[in-house]
Amino acid sequence: MTITGPNPAEGAPETGLPPALLHEAAEVGPGVGPWALAWRRLRRNRVALFFGGLFLLIVVICLLAPVYSNDIAHIGPNDQNVINTTNAIGIPIGPTWRFDHYFLGADNLGRDVAVRLLYGGRTSLEVGAVATLITMVLGVLLAIVAGYFRGLADGILSRIMDVIWAYPVVLLGIVLGTVIAVRGLGPFKSTTPLSTALVIGFVYIPYVFRPVRAQVLVLREREFVDAARQQGLSAGQIMLGEILPNLSSTIVVFVPLILANAILLEAALTYLGAGINPPNASWGTMISDGINEIPAAFHLVLVPGIMLVLAVMSVNIFGDGLRDAFDPRSRVRIAIASTSQGD
Amino acid sequence: MSRTLRPALAGLTALAVAAAITLVALSSGNANAKRPARNAAASVVQMVEGTFPQSLDPGLDYTTQGSEINWVVYTGLATYAHKNGVAGAQLIPGLCTALPTISNGGKTYTCTLRKGLVFSNGKPVVASDFAYTMERALKIPWGGSGAFLTPYVVGAQAFASGKAKSIAGVSTNDATGKITIQLSQAYGPFTNVLAFPMLGLIPSGFPMTVQATSPPPGVGPYMVTNIVANTSFEAVPNPYWSKINIPGIPSAKVSVEVKANSNVAANALSVLNGSADIFDWADNIPGSLLQQIQAKAAGRFRYVNLGGSTYYIFLNASEPPFNNQLAREAVVTGLNQPAMSRIGSGTLVPACYFLPPDIVGHPPLPNSSCPYGNPDKGGNIAKAKALLKQSGLAGTSVTVWSETRQPRQAWMTAYTQMLNQIGFKATQKLLSDSTYFTTIGQSKKLHPQTGFADWNQDFPHPVDFYGPLLDGNSILPTNNENFGQTNDPYINAQVKKLGTVPTTQLQSVAKQWQALDEYVAKKAYVAVFGYEKFPEFASSRINYGALVFQPIYGWDLTSFSLK
Repeated sequence: MTITGPNPAEGAPETGLPPALLHEAAEVGPGVGPWALAWRRLRRNRVALFFGGLFLLIVVICLLAPVYSNDIAHIGPNDQNVINTTNAIGIPIGPTWRFDHYFLGADNLGRDVAVRLLYGGRTSLEVGAVATLITMVLGVLLAIVAGYFRGLADGILSRIMDVIWAYPVVLLGIVLGTVIAVRGLGPFKSTTPLSTALVIGFVYIPYVFRPVRAQVLVLREREFVDAARQQGLSAGQIMLGEILPNLSSTIVVFVPLILANAILLEAALTYLGAGINPPNASWGTMISDGINEIPAAFHLVLVPGIMLVLAVMSVNIFGDGLRDAFDPRSRVRIAIASTSQGD
Repeated sequence: MSRTLRPALAGLTALAVAAAITLVALSSGNANAKRPARNAAASVVQMVEGTFPQSLDPGLDYTTQGSEINWVVYTGLATYAHKNGVAGAQLIPGLCTALPTISNGGKTYTCTLRKGLVFSNGKPVVASDFAYTMERALKIPWGGSGAFLTPYVVGAQAFASGKAKSIAGVSTNDATGKITIQLSQAYGPFTNVLAFPMLGLIPSGFPMTVQATSPPPGVGPYMVTNIVANTSFEAVPNPYWSKINIPGIPSAKVSVEVKANSNVAANALSVLNGSADIFDWADNIPGSLLQQIQAKAAGRFRYVNLGGSTYYIFLNASEPPFNNQLAREAVVTGLNQPAMSRIGSGTLVPACYFLPPDIVGHPPLPNSSCPYGNPDKGGNIAKAKALLKQSGLAGTSVTVWSETRQPRQAWMTAYTQMLNQIGFKATQKLLSDSTYFTTIGQSKKLHPQTGFADWNQDFPHPVDFYGPLLDGNSILPTNNENFGQTNDPYINAQVKKLGTVPTTQLQSVAKQWQALDEYVAKKAYVAVFGYEKFPEFASSRINYGALVFQPIYGWDLTSFSLK
């Protein structure tokens, strides 16, 4: 998935590009790099930009959780107030719509839902971000090593990835999460946000490893890599200095996809008891805590559910826009397919 | 998810997961709205429960869910009357022709097997099957063996530890059916011990290991089939039962399909709308559904206070920080029981004494007399903080063990937060309901510090609470029930002394049991947080008036019938 922007000099008959890209190609002057080209395309995709902005807004609001908790609501995410916010059979109050007093109501332990929603968002986003970082760093590095050296290194790494790949991510996540929860693993005596992020980051590595490795196998045969070898550069220098920069657009496209899936997997694992442990808030724990209260307090599930959907959907659509911006071939393929159908 | 990461697909997945979580929770009660035709034709009753039994193998199980089934599958030498209320705690002869004869100063129990007994696989029952059944329970080991068998039955300890090939104190005669059990010391409620489903006879030669999905044949109105681990099983009428006819034990009228679902709200909804028939009595109806159920199912729902059940938090007194009495006192002082009651839909009665109200020895004192504050008033966090500070253990890390099902998880979440408030660094550890007690029963491997526990009487005798739960002699390396590993010489001695008094003469030692119960409250070995009221809730298909809610085993499956 190398960024190979269309060459206007080659003309339409040879590139097979649709009119929209040909027009864009005509507009682009010489010397415009792939990043500038991608940014130009992304700016035109208003839907992607809107959802990118929405995701940014969610992140900022969640980061401001302590401000809301300390200065407005005056209650912590785990502070309980059962007697004053539930009735005799434990049904909690609903939204008051007052920012300073249980804006989104209370849960069955008398905790402020709005405060927990923001803190829960922080946890979910942090876990997602750390997991994505782990996946991307390990996935890309291992893929470069496997693809560049091929042979034994590739064989061993690819088989390891095959083993991980063989298990559905949720199942593998539950197994690892449960082992940590019950027995502990290494420095983790129980599941923590960091251990959950490590588990999620680990299970997604093959999903990055495979496509990146395939791309490295192509890149290592290119002329610029041969030239680097002729100049006497070491394997490490070639991998990090020549191949890695050519993978950057792929990495950028993968980040939001992995992030969206990591956030979703965190919620799923937590809901199943193998992720974030209570009383820590995350959107997954909030949904799990609220399930039994649905008949009388639907908001306990609805509110974190909506936030989860918005966050995952926005980062996904933005990621889709990024892919379109960095990988015009995919648009070409779609366009060609449409044309073929028309024929 | 798909093996390839496609943004649009992942977006749709996000929507689908969120929608599914909501919809499943809302509508799982309707999932079985269309009852399979075979159920109606074959008179199948569906029971829903929040927790799958620890095991359907009687050699291991020691849970309310398991005992509820096993006591109608594995009849012991003695058993209990199939009656409501206090009458249900009365012992009646089981596989023996009469209740065992007690002689030799309470140390010899003798009885004779009925003629013509056969297991549910058609194999004839012989007296030596009893010896084999007890040997198997000791080898597995059953969680109550350390409290009820090894300390009393001659040779049981030697057999359990592998030093003997048989239990010296059990002798049987297959020709006459005579069974004799020798005890090393008198043990008052031993006839009750013989009524445990775990000692319900199984055929000799059945594997000595736990057979979770293919349990042994038994002698009882029901037999268990179609076990899907942690999910479901069926209790179907035993085809050989009609030839046995033991007085006082009714025959099965319907088959019972049992399904486990930790979403108890969905379970309650399914019984309300008729897609399931029986709600498990040991589960809690969420407050969010209570008003709806009371309004729509008034004639088939009520709460009953069994008076023989205690909900408590165990505190591991063998290790820091709870080997320090001040730390334990801090926990009891900080507990907010009215809040715990609300979390449990208002069904908990705040209390501080370990023995529940209907058990002899329960102190007949007002809650204001509790040593660490009146449980009706809520916890005193400031005082608890001061106590912990005084103990020098503030800042100690504590792991709180908890089941996932509600409200138990919520109770432990509230407790964890209280520990953090008073100065501990507490984290919660969640385990699935089906593995919880087995896991925390690994006393030597896991050393659980604190967490949820509850106990419902096996028989109406205080030693049933003190023996397995607080007697140091009952601590087992696995399947341990003394979760707090309490090993107080005074408690051990009192249990040994008072345990010799038969159930029928308990009033003579009521004051001593009461003194012991007050001693335990004072020492804060456990943090009692209430006595639970239980729901009797059935669908409109069920003949509600005929249902028997037995004080020891809960629902009597032989009383289930359709209108």
